[in-house]
Amino acid sequence: MKDWLHSVRALVWKDLLQEWRSKDMLTAMFAFAILTLFIFNYAIELSPVNRAEIASGIIWVVIVFAGTLGLNRSFTSEQDQGCFDALVMAVPDVSAIYFGKMLTNWLVMLFVSLLILPIYSLLYNQSLFNAGFILVLVLGAWCYSAAGTLIAGMTVQTRMRDLLLPILLFPILMPVNMAVVKAAGGILAGAPLVNVQAWLVLLAAYGIIVTTVSILVFEYVIRE
Amino acid sequence: MSLAIRQVSKSFGQHHVLNSLDLELKPGELLCLLGRNGAGKTTLLRILTGLLRPEAGSVWLENQQIDYAEPHARHDIGLVMHQPFLYEHLTGIENLRFYARLYQVADDKTALEAASARVGMQRFAHKPVRAYSRGMKQRLTIARALLHSPRILLLDEPYTGLDLQGSQTFNQLMLEQKQQGRIILMTTHDLSHALPISSRFAFLARGRVSDELTNQNLSLENIETWLAQKLAKPVSAQKGAAA
Repeated sequence: MKDWLHSVRALVWKDLLQEWRSKDMLTAMFAFAILTLFIFNYAIELSPVNRAEIASGIIWVVIVFAGTLGLNRSFTSEQDQGCFDALVMAVPDVSAIYFGKMLTNWLVMLFVSLLILPIYSLLYNQSLFNAGFILVLVLGAWCYSAAGTLIAGMTVQTRMRDLLLPILLFPILMPVNMAVVKAAGGILAGAPLVNVQAWLVLLAAYGIIVTTVSILVFEYVIRE
Repeated sequence: MSLAIRQVSKSFGQHHVLNSLDLELKPGELLCLLGRNGAGKTTLLRILTGLLRPEAGSVWLENQQIDYAEPHARHDIGLVMHQPFLYEHLTGIENLRFYARLYQVADDKTALEAASARVGMQRFAHKPVRAYSRGMKQRLTIARALLHSPRILLLDEPYTGLDLQGSQTFNQLMLEQKQQGRIILMTTHDLSHALPISSRFAFLARGRVSDELTNQNLSLENIETWLAQKLAKPVSAQKGAAA
């Protein structure tokens, strides 16, 4: 277990350092997120009444689609120089690769979310810096990264990976999308946390189940 | 400790790449695997790494079948393939540090600088890999493959991109590895460099080792003539010889 955690830490360190230097994922995700926020800003007229309901949907759509760009990139960077084979040879257990990538994707998604929240607040004149709302985003991003990293590991070996990833991923994410939008909408509308508790439990359960199953099956997914 | 490849077969669709291949390597031996393009040399190396599963046959180390699910079995192998397995946005030292951490060997600055110095890369160790030439990447790849002192070295065209000095450094390293009892399997087309370090040459045709030649003070001319004869033979004739 200690070896496994040691490898996960090394993988996350490497991925974040590489991303910080190249900014491959961050640039694409951030550019997409900003562009989408601007388009929504012109397209949707928000009134104080519908603002809370729609904000959660807009923010989650932006994060999900920007996240897809990042997911694709997270494994192709390994394929470029054939590094995936070297990783498989070096780690104590192949599931460490999944967990390391999942953590990196999660952290990158949260970082992009952190960047776009103030921009949203500025454009739509609505503060999203609410502890409950941020908790929902953290849980939602975890669920998204957990499922997305597994599917990205599957599709990276195919030629149609850019097309296959969203086709396979989005149906699996339906419960997450629903729970995030409902929970975040409720919180932004001023409902107490206990009112959206069921959605939060759903997100936590989804995250635990998908992460556990992915750790167990990742070796079979990436093998020949 | 010997490495035995027994009755290994592998096909891709209708194309039979390896056909009941048998091969044995002893400690301190460097076997140079030769063959036409597409003869199955790289496929064999990938099977030995566990990255590719054979349809039949097995690989044995010290009379025990290798279980590639075991991390120590994979850690017994040092690998140099066509691709360098390096991260372009990290420096040479950072690449070595990353792999040292995965292999759980010393990852302090002194150890890593010593590893890069072994392949003559100390001056460039702190530069990003994307600024390296092909030969510099190959040197670092060799340092990465040796980082965890593996018992088996699998080297696919290790001279690719290396200049004369790089090839000599590599040969020196391989002679040291042989003295330490490592098992080395190498594919190359560069006979002039491979000759001084190879213990044996094996020619792969039709998915099997069709002929072998022990290196007892062979001259380059001898080995080139032997290889030319093998390459000149029609593949069907080699199939008969192998059978």
